[in-house]
Amino acid sequence: MILKWFDERLEIKKFKDKYLTKTFPTHPSFLLGEIALFSFITLIITGIFLGFLYEPSSKMVSLFGAMVPSAYASVVRIDLLPMGMLIRGIHHWSAMIMIAAILAHLMRIYFTSSYRKPREINWLIGLGLWSVTMLAAFTGYLLPFSNFSVTATSIAYYITKSVPWIGDWISRLLFAGDFPSSGTVPRFFFMHVMLIPILLLGLIGLHIVILVKQKHTEPLSNKNKKEAEGGRRLIGIPIWPEQGVISVSFFFFLLFLVVLIATYIPLNPIETYGPPSPGTPVMRPDWYFLIVYGFLKLVPGDLSFSILGGKITPETIGGIIFPTLTILVFALIPFLDRRKDPQNYIENPLRRPFMTSFGIGGGVFLCMLVVAGYIDVLHIVPATMTIYIIIASLAAWSISYTLLRLYNKK
Amino acid sequence: MVDKNTGDKEEKTGITRRKFTLGVILASVAGAFGSLLALLKVLSPEKKGGGGYVSTIKPGDKLVYAKGGKQGDFIKVSSLNIGDAVLAYPAGKASNPANIVQLIKLKESTFKPPTHINLTGDGLVAYSAICTHLGCIVSWVRNQQSPDTSFTECFCHDSIFDPLRGAKVLSGPAPIPLAQIGIKVEGDGTLVFTSGFTGPIGPQV
Repeated sequence: MILKWFDERLEIKKFKDKYLTKTFPTHPSFLLGEIALFSFITLIITGIFLGFLYEPSSKMVSLFGAMVPSAYASVVRIDLLPMGMLIRGIHHWSAMIMIAAILAHLMRIYFTSSYRKPREINWLIGLGLWSVTMLAAFTGYLLPFSNFSVTATSIAYYITKSVPWIGDWISRLLFAGDFPSSGTVPRFFFMHVMLIPILLLGLIGLHIVILVKQKHTEPLSNKNKKEAEGGRRLIGIPIWPEQGVISVSFFFFLLFLVVLIATYIPLNPIETYGPPSPGTPVMRPDWYFLIVYGFLKLVPGDLSFSILGGKITPETIGGIIFPTLTILVFALIPFLDRRKDPQNYIENPLRRPFMTSFGIGGGVFLCMLVVAGYIDVLHIVPATMTIYIIIASLAAWSISYTLLRLYNKK
Repeated sequence: MVDKNTGDKEEKTGITRRKFTLGVILASVAGAFGSLLALLKVLSPEKKGGGGYVSTIKPGDKLVYAKGGKQGDFIKVSSLNIGDAVLAYPAGKASNPANIVQLIKLKESTFKPPTHINLTGDGLVAYSAICTHLGCIVSWVRNQQSPDTSFTECFCHDSIFDPLRGAKVLSGPAPIPLAQIGIKVEGDGTLVFTSGFTGPIGPQV
């Protein structure tokens, strides 16, 4: 009845017939991108809750008799609300899961060579989504304004400042002056709740529209089936109801898992870190920043020089040049690994010795940098660690390459 | 002459209507965005007084505890044993983060250059507590077995400084040593600063 009322005005049925009957090829690994999307939805919902209660200001206020920044005080008050700490935990956990899902999704695309023509554009948008999500996580770090937040952001401030030529200007733009200053928290709040989510929504929309336009790559098993049938249509299940039901129930299952994890493993206990104070806690950033963190530990301190008036310091190398190069390598992959005919099936990674072994070597390299973040615990000297990293990644690359070549000879 | 496809009349200048319109659109878009660039200047605030860490410590300032239960109290020489270190501020000047120093008690005879021995007193030496790498506050790693081999470490990225040799960088990413600052013991056992920092303080970017 109500549906009919809407249908007469909006022609829902036409829309349904046109779009919701689209075919969605099935493979469990195709759900990785959905995990990222669903985490983003959870982040928005919990973020709205937190946004109502958070105060974006570092002005000092009294909390239980002590003078603390009002941002910190408001987060302590959120934690004291019924389920307040849980909502904050779900928000933090969802962010971690979102980045993990993005990386897993990226690996899936890489190893099945789904980035190839015609999907280069979506590969680049995906890399953009990854970078912007990292930015979202980073701006979120500062907001509770605990000792941990302030130390972490201060490190990022000096890394931003170390950009050659324009570092001073960029850091003042992002941090609203020197850090710490009263402008930083409001500006980070604005970026975290407005600018970055809008950017993410736009990029996600574009990512999905392009996916619908170009259609999904199909599992290899479809290829034989299709050749037998002589058909050219995608083989899979329609978006509505089959895929829709899977996705919706999958979303609620994920939500259940996140709530469960957040209930038992609280994150970022700001009451333990306390408000900003002299003295730096022994701390490590969340895992997704450990790659850069590990790299920063390895760059020798005396490695500093200038080119054309721009100063290159160890922080520039570790915090700016290295991440930029990493993203650049990712961005170049579809343009180096080219092929004329369109790629419509996911490829078997075992049949692509060069790219697969390159991916494994690169993956080991990045994982070893995470290990480098722990050299103080492992009691390894930075120079030794650097050698370990080079050996491990080269070994992983050459061994996997040799093995894959042998496998393909058989 | 009339273009068959567009019906444009080509004037003597050789510019078609289409080209002209396109040019006007591009110029207006470029002009609009160009003027928006000016906003970037407004968004990025001017630097206040040079920026970075500028210490306001003057000779004669007394040292007080920077944290803990005795925060703000004068530091007494008698409360420090060999191998101890505390974070200190000049009295009344704790609001400037550039002023924080690490006060270390070791054996006077073990100090070696490049430590400025004339700026130490009674086995006490003070260095800027702001790591020269990325600005974290350094910590003291006390060796319980032989306290005189304790050292300063920044827990952010594991830079290690040698307190006996002018806070020279022993390992890690810090580019330069922590700057030393002169101190001496007063008659009543309190401590005062006797100089400014011997070098640059804070991150070197």
